Amino acid sequence: MVSEVDQAQFRLIIPSQTRYLNLVTGLAKRASLVAGLDDATAAKVSIAVDEAVTNVILHAYHGEGEHSVELELRFTEAALEIHIWHSGQGIRGDQLVLPDPKEYIKHPRKGGLGLLLMSRFMDEVKFKSDEASGRNECCLIKKIS
Amino acid sequence: MADLSIVVRQVGEVAVLLPAGFINAHTVLGFEEALEKLVQDGHYTILLNCKDLSYISSAGLGAIMGLIETVREHDGDILLSNLQDNVFTIFDTLGFTQLYRVFGDENQALAAAAPEQKG
Repeated sequence: MVSEVDQAQFRLIIPSQTRYLNLVTGLAKRASLVAGLDDATAAKVSIAVDEAVTNVILHAYHGEGEHSVELELRFTEAALEIHIWHSGQGIRGDQLVLPDPKEYIKHPRKGGLGLLLMSRFMDEVKFKSDEASGRNECCLIKKIS
Repeated sequence: MADLSIVVRQVGEVAVLLPAGFINAHTVLGFEEALEKLVQDGHYTILLNCKDLSYISSAGLGAIMGLIETVREHDGDILLSNLQDNVFTIFDTLGFTQLYRVFGDENQALAAAAPEQKG
């Protein structure tokens, strides 16, 4: 079954339902350890993945559970890459403004922290849209030092 | 084991809430309801003993953030104790350790909460 697959990358497709979040974060944590990251860093990667997939389920798909979220793990010598694809609403540029933690603390409110956690815990966070296919991607990269 | 179970007990004037499991977008509703019920019932000093909390995402942080102003307006507070390393890292990374008082264990938190209850 794996003969045609690059052994250093594989995919998982889950329904767009929050009940599967823990499955995905568990996978991300284990994958981080396999990639050679330490326990504390693996925990950070799993949190970033939770936030990214949660964003897809709740915001891109507006909580509708009949869609798919596709994850691909890529293991390279330099980094662990986690690519998350969906066909829901793409994130807009003006939604990518990270809240200032100091301002956030002065004026507490709900929401807005997921992107901040992702950016703090990963080395790179990229969003891409493919208009032709209607697919959107969030790419999380953690370098292996 | 359930994804998240919550025990609440009263110690003097402090409502101690013990979440066990993990808090993410799937489980946050139960956590949020437990917090809101405490506030609705007039418990404005709340200690979150996180000894059995393995993980919290921004959904859970949002639930706490949503009530902090309300409890402080009533001269109460939300305190945290027994944070596991990765949970502490989340709070600390976002600068929330400046917003919440964090204690090593429950007794330290209760002792710190006592003076403000008397006042």
